[in-house]
Amino acid sequence: MNRNRRGIPVRRSLLLFSALLALMPLLTGCWDSVELNRRAIVSGVAIDRGETEADKYVLSFQVIVSEEISGEKARGIAPVALYTGRGRTMFEALANASRQTARFLSLGHVRVLVISEKFAREGIRDIMDVLERESDTRLTSLMFISKGQPAKDLMSTMTVFSKIPANDLVEKLETTSKQFGYNYRMEVDEVIRGIQIRGGGPTINGVQTTGDKENAGSNDNLKTIAPKAILRVTGLAAFKDDKLKGWLEGETALGTALLQNQVKEFPSLVEDREGGYIAFNVYQSTVKIAAKAKDPEHPLIIVNISQQAALKEGPSTLDYSDPEVIEGLSDRLTAETKNMIQLAVQEARRLGSDYIGFGEALRRENPRGWNRVKDHWEELFKTCEVKINADAVIRHTDMRGNSFQVNK
Amino acid sequence: MTARRDSGTQSGAKAAGARADGAERRLSLDLHESLRNIQAEVGYSPDIKVREIRLGPAPGIQAAAVHLSGLTDAQLLNEFVMGALLQNAEELTDNPVDELPKLLLGRALEVGEAAIAEDWNETLIAVLSGDTAILLDGCTVAIICGTRGGEWRSVSEPTSQLVVRGPKDGFVESIATNISLVRRRLRSPKLRLESMKIGTETQTTVVLMYVKGFASDDLVGEVRKRLEKVAIDEVLESGFIEELIQDKTITPFPTIYNTERPDVVVGNLLEGRVAILVDGTPFVLILPAVFTQFFQSAEDYSQRFDIAILMRVVRYLSFIVLILGPSVYIALTTYHYEMLPTTLLINLLAQRENVPFPAFVEAMLMEIAFEFLREAGVRMPRVIGQTVSVVGALILGSAVVEAGIITPIMVIVVALTGIASFAIPAYNMAIAGRLIRFAFLLLAGMFGFYGITLGLIVMIAHMNSLRSFGIPYLSPFVPLSVRGQKDTLLRLPMWMMNPGKSPQQMRAELPKSMQITTGHEAVLSPAIKKNEEMDRKREGGNSNEPE
Repeated sequence: MNRNRRGIPVRRSLLLFSALLALMPLLTGCWDSVELNRRAIVSGVAIDRGETEADKYVLSFQVIVSEEISGEKARGIAPVALYTGRGRTMFEALANASRQTARFLSLGHVRVLVISEKFAREGIRDIMDVLERESDTRLTSLMFISKGQPAKDLMSTMTVFSKIPANDLVEKLETTSKQFGYNYRMEVDEVIRGIQIRGGGPTINGVQTTGDKENAGSNDNLKTIAPKAILRVTGLAAFKDDKLKGWLEGETALGTALLQNQVKEFPSLVEDREGGYIAFNVYQSTVKIAAKAKDPEHPLIIVNISQQAALKEGPSTLDYSDPEVIEGLSDRLTAETKNMIQLAVQEARRLGSDYIGFGEALRRENPRGWNRVKDHWEELFKTCEVKINADAVIRHTDMRGNSFQVNK
Repeated sequence: MTARRDSGTQSGAKAAGARADGAERRLSLDLHESLRNIQAEVGYSPDIKVREIRLGPAPGIQAAAVHLSGLTDAQLLNEFVMGALLQNAEELTDNPVDELPKLLLGRALEVGEAAIAEDWNETLIAVLSGDTAILLDGCTVAIICGTRGGEWRSVSEPTSQLVVRGPKDGFVESIATNISLVRRRLRSPKLRLESMKIGTETQTTVVLMYVKGFASDDLVGEVRKRLEKVAIDEVLESGFIEELIQDKTITPFPTIYNTERPDVVVGNLLEGRVAILVDGTPFVLILPAVFTQFFQSAEDYSQRFDIAILMRVVRYLSFIVLILGPSVYIALTTYHYEMLPTTLLINLLAQRENVPFPAFVEAMLMEIAFEFLREAGVRMPRVIGQTVSVVGALILGSAVVEAGIITPIMVIVVALTGIASFAIPAYNMAIAGRLIRFAFLLLAGMFGFYGITLGLIVMIAHMNSLRSFGIPYLSPFVPLSVRGQKDTLLRLPMWMMNPGKSPQQMRAELPKSMQITTGHEAVLSPAIKKNEEMDRKREGGNSNEPE
């Protein structure tokens, strides 16, 4: 048998060597393992524009203090803590913030991203790039624009229903999008897709605090029955490319959301002839945007909208069992819807941004023509002909037919 | 069949002879010398009884009956051997002594089972097994009377494989009883038994059982050959045999099934498998066995098929939970926290806040503690069972949590894996799972889900490399057979499972290329076939070998 100098058989030394080699991968193990109690889970991030270029990005992290939320040994402190870092880039700001935190800032559970209005007006392109590139953040986080105040404020407002303000904000958005209308889930990847639309941009939900902002971050905020400061979802921020152009509120916002097919349910009011209003719950509405574009320079955009509604409030002596009355109301509901859409289109034209997707309709209809006009689509968008076909049907009058007032 | 049986006995006797003095010995012509030899061979053991008698009118022919007390049925011995001998021998003693054994056998003895043994070792082993040997002066042969008896545990409910509905009898330690339990359920003349003695010291009776025409001849031949090759001093349990005849020994997975239930044995025999019964143990081996077989229970066939499917799915799930439960928890909490729902994560965070150990150490501690508890529960005397379970439940359940050493969720995970291990019907598969679980725990602790995935790949590859007597261990999944799925993950209704067709008929219907995938019973692997052919050639060479 071959032996080396020390008398160990060659075969055995080879075996020994390969065994050591096989063990080597184990040495590299664990390098990215982090125990849960070494993590600081971030629930929301606020991105503000600093005053100077040196601290362009001011990132505020809302970190969950888990013990306060579900632990038995709660100390009665705030359920979340806010840490702020500054830097020339997002990554630098994150690293900067870690100086204040005892644990690893973990972005895997960020549910809310708030960008300040100031930053949004300047452009959010670079921010979105980071959010997409970073492996830890998720593309399903919800995006918000803080309306008229620093985004940081919104991360430091105590909320009633969820101990974590970011979760509270998410729930608020979900509730309002289900019940009342024009705010809807806008996630990071949808914003990124919105930015890429030629001539258009995304629409992002606005958020603001109202009331006593001084004490919003303290438990005192919740000690009264009516919270002193309330975090609320507001209008839609309309973007052209990655820059905020204006805010949409009320019927304009509703019309916009309708055009994007994002409305689940919303109340629609029709003025009664005897004064007062008749209220409907529109529980289904489907919008199809089509285009006629043989000549792409002069396209015709056709908006088809069909709705189903239920009578919710009819405080009048109208006879709802009469089909003609119902039909008359349907027509007025249709007119109302048409009005909303018109308002939305007008506003989009005023802001010069095709966030309602007319360009997309044109591209689907006539892709070659779109290639010819896409570079000056902004001008065409302002002038192109729009036709709105609306159709609303009143399906039922809820628990009653006529009001008891009718038989008086 | 009887020829087979004889040859089996002979080979066993040969083995014993080799041990004694290397040559075939015969009894001495002198009765007393023979008796002395026997006494000397067993070391003058007090339980060997020699009864000397004289046959025929005085002075008569000297004879002796030798037996072991305790192993013989005393009534049988007294009435039908000794009594008959003394009464009926009188008129026979006029004949020459050489013919006497045959005459006694034919005309005097009243026991049902008796034969003439010419060989010394055969005689000795017969006595040691509980038979009675009758020796005559001036004769070199002995008459062996089947008087085996003595005390055995009676047939009772099996302890390891319980059913709610189904037969309640289980095998016992006596092989004769066990054979009868199978025979009672399978009144077919096609049932074949081949007996052999294994164990140079214990001389344990091992019976190979199969149904002719159902089990493939190749399979039976291979099993027979492997059994004949077993060279071991002692066979105290079927596990001794199992370990020596299985295809691959370095694996946690069992490749031979064992059962305490006669109905399971019968069912498997009719599916074309082979059973090996070992004297002295209630556990019968069944082979070949594939992975899915260990998740089947006798009850699957007594309940409705839809319910049986539910039970099976639960068993497979429990196996997955058993091997992956703690490791997935470790991977999730230390590497992939983003995969947990936020609310759950916050809960876990709060629980882990003041726990001193990393999750991996925590899991190891709890799993080992649980193994302690289980081992203690199995081995300890019944009387103190309550104490151990109370202490164990308290320690594992609440004290460790209150002391802040272990998180409550860990207790849940460990308890879940523990319960999952009990849901697997085959105990040997459950302990395999328990072992593998630790490997996965280690992988998850080091690499997270990446490690678990690698581990799974290696495990599946390893299972694919396993064969049970030539049958791929993962069949009928790998290689895939659609027909084989009827009774694996699912249990289709009886009418869909080819009623009235023997496995061989079903096999014959398949194209040649697919035959290995017919389910649990199929053609053997090429290597085994080659061995068979070589053996056949050798046998052809010296065909005058005694049958």
